[in-house]
Amino acid sequence: MNTRIIRAIVRKDLRVVRRSRALMTPLIVLPVLLMIVFPTVVTFLPRLMGGAREAFAEMFRNLPDPVRAQFGGFTEATWIRVVHTQMLAPLMLLVPFMVANVIAADGFAGERERKTLEPLLYTPATDAELFVAKLLAAWLPAIMIAFGGAAVYAVIVNVMAWPVMQRVFFPDLTWIVMVLWMAPAFAALGLAGMLLVSLRVRGMQEATQLGGLFVLPVIALVVGEVRGAVLLGPSMAIVIGLLVWVIAGAMLLFGVKRFKRTSLVGKL
Amino acid sequence: MTAPNAEGSAIVLERVVHRYGATVALRDLTLAVEHGEVFSLLGHNGAGKTTTVRIINGLLAPASGSVRVFGLSPLGDGARVRRRTAVLTESPTLDDRLTARETLRAFAEMYDVPAAEIRGRTESLLSEFGIADRANERVGGFSRGMKQRLALARALVHDPDLLFLDEPTAGLDPVATHQLHSTVREMSRSRGRTVVLCTHNLVEAQALSDRVAVLGEGQLLALGTPAELARRIAPRLEVSLEVEPAQTDAAVRVIGSDNGLTAVADRGGVVRVSGIVRDAVPSLASRLVGAGIALYRLEPHEPSLTDAYFALQHRQPAVRDTDGDEL
Repeated sequence: MNTRIIRAIVRKDLRVVRRSRALMTPLIVLPVLLMIVFPTVVTFLPRLMGGAREAFAEMFRNLPDPVRAQFGGFTEATWIRVVHTQMLAPLMLLVPFMVANVIAADGFAGERERKTLEPLLYTPATDAELFVAKLLAAWLPAIMIAFGGAAVYAVIVNVMAWPVMQRVFFPDLTWIVMVLWMAPAFAALGLAGMLLVSLRVRGMQEATQLGGLFVLPVIALVVGEVRGAVLLGPSMAIVIGLLVWVIAGAMLLFGVKRFKRTSLVGKL
Repeated sequence: MTAPNAEGSAIVLERVVHRYGATVALRDLTLAVEHGEVFSLLGHNGAGKTTTVRIINGLLAPASGSVRVFGLSPLGDGARVRRRTAVLTESPTLDDRLTARETLRAFAEMYDVPAAEIRGRTESLLSEFGIADRANERVGGFSRGMKQRLALARALVHDPDLLFLDEPTAGLDPVATHQLHSTVREMSRSRGRTVVLCTHNLVEAQALSDRVAVLGEGQLLALGTPAELARRIAPRLEVSLEVEPAQTDAAVRVIGSDNGLTAVADRGGVVRVSGIVRDAVPSLASRLVGAGIALYRLEPHEPSLTDAYFALQHRQPAVRDTDGDEL
């Protein structure tokens, strides 16, 4: 494989993404909302809304016994730990998923829609090099944003919760596994889903609509966590991450067999 | 149809068939393009020109037949073939969000141009195609003509041995068109590069091409130099005669209207004769002189490629050369 050609395509794709307001808006807004604004607001909800405290205490009482046993009785410190290490944790998986999904949509369906795919097909890049370049162009920014966002999240949470916690309590082991193991897996799932969809549809709009459906496993995980149906510990995070890697890998394998010049050119 | 002589040819297609579903796009296409020539593929929309270019570059797999480019198979050795070819597509297909300079550099890297040469080549092409002043502007703000010039510069950034130009002057102003024609001639004549031109512009094809192939519904209808095709396919000429003005009517009567000839007194002393075959021109001159007509000038107007093209499109059977081979 010619890594120079791959790097050139990745650089070009990322430059094109950076220059698109339509793409950059969700790529900035979503991580800021999910990894900064939302956790900040939720951290202080019991303090900001006096009446909400009892509601959150009730919510805490309704959590499954193992979760409550893990955190003890309801206090503001407990609330902060529950919110960040359990309830909101899976939300951060949306970030790598969506970033990879959006960039992949632009790289596959978007490029075809703008008719800029054809000149790429005429370059000496092999099908495999094109495929790898397109994957990296979507996957690398997704995990970079996930890692960067996670670091910012950790700093913000510790700083803001300091008056209550009086110590650095975050991230815990589960969260570290989630960021380093699950986030890349969900990014791979996001782009694999978009790859499969893009191979079938012609337009970017159609691709984003269908490709977005692959977010459902993440939503299910979030809902499961909030409702206490899923208790995400380090082992569970490793198992779920592995499962997602396997699914994403299978989808990519399926996609690579169909990612052929001779097929792609038929949709130009 | 006989196979072309493959020795030394840049491109050799032998009995190539391609289908899009039930539609046959190419039917037993056989032709060879020689090194250093400017070769035009002519034909209506859907004649198979773009399909041919895509097959030659390994973007499509033929259903049957053989394709060799510089002796390589575009499917098996696609990367090696495409390293030596370049395609200027009909629409510029540039990314509007990149600048002109970024576009050229990105494609230079994709074509694996040595890093040390990229800057020099990029700047030289930007300057040659009159884009240097706007090199750092995004392509989205360029006019159609500028985009086409940039697309051509992009096609040349790796100094290809074989250049495909699909409707290269569509949307270009006369100056840019002239510049493109000069580039094509320079590529071929001075640098020995092979140029394949896919065009509807028959005048352009006649002016630039060493040889042309006319395709119709995926079939090769004719192949040869523009002059050969014009003579073979549209053999009847128009001839202008300048005679003594007082003898104009007499000249028209001598010419008569036999054998499909039409003679019209154009203006004082000039008679236009149409529908005459080339071989009949000397006897026409001798008939006039023999009848006492003072013939001052005889100017045959050769049929053009355009005449041949339109004659071909109304005459589907393949053309054969003097040896009986299909052209």
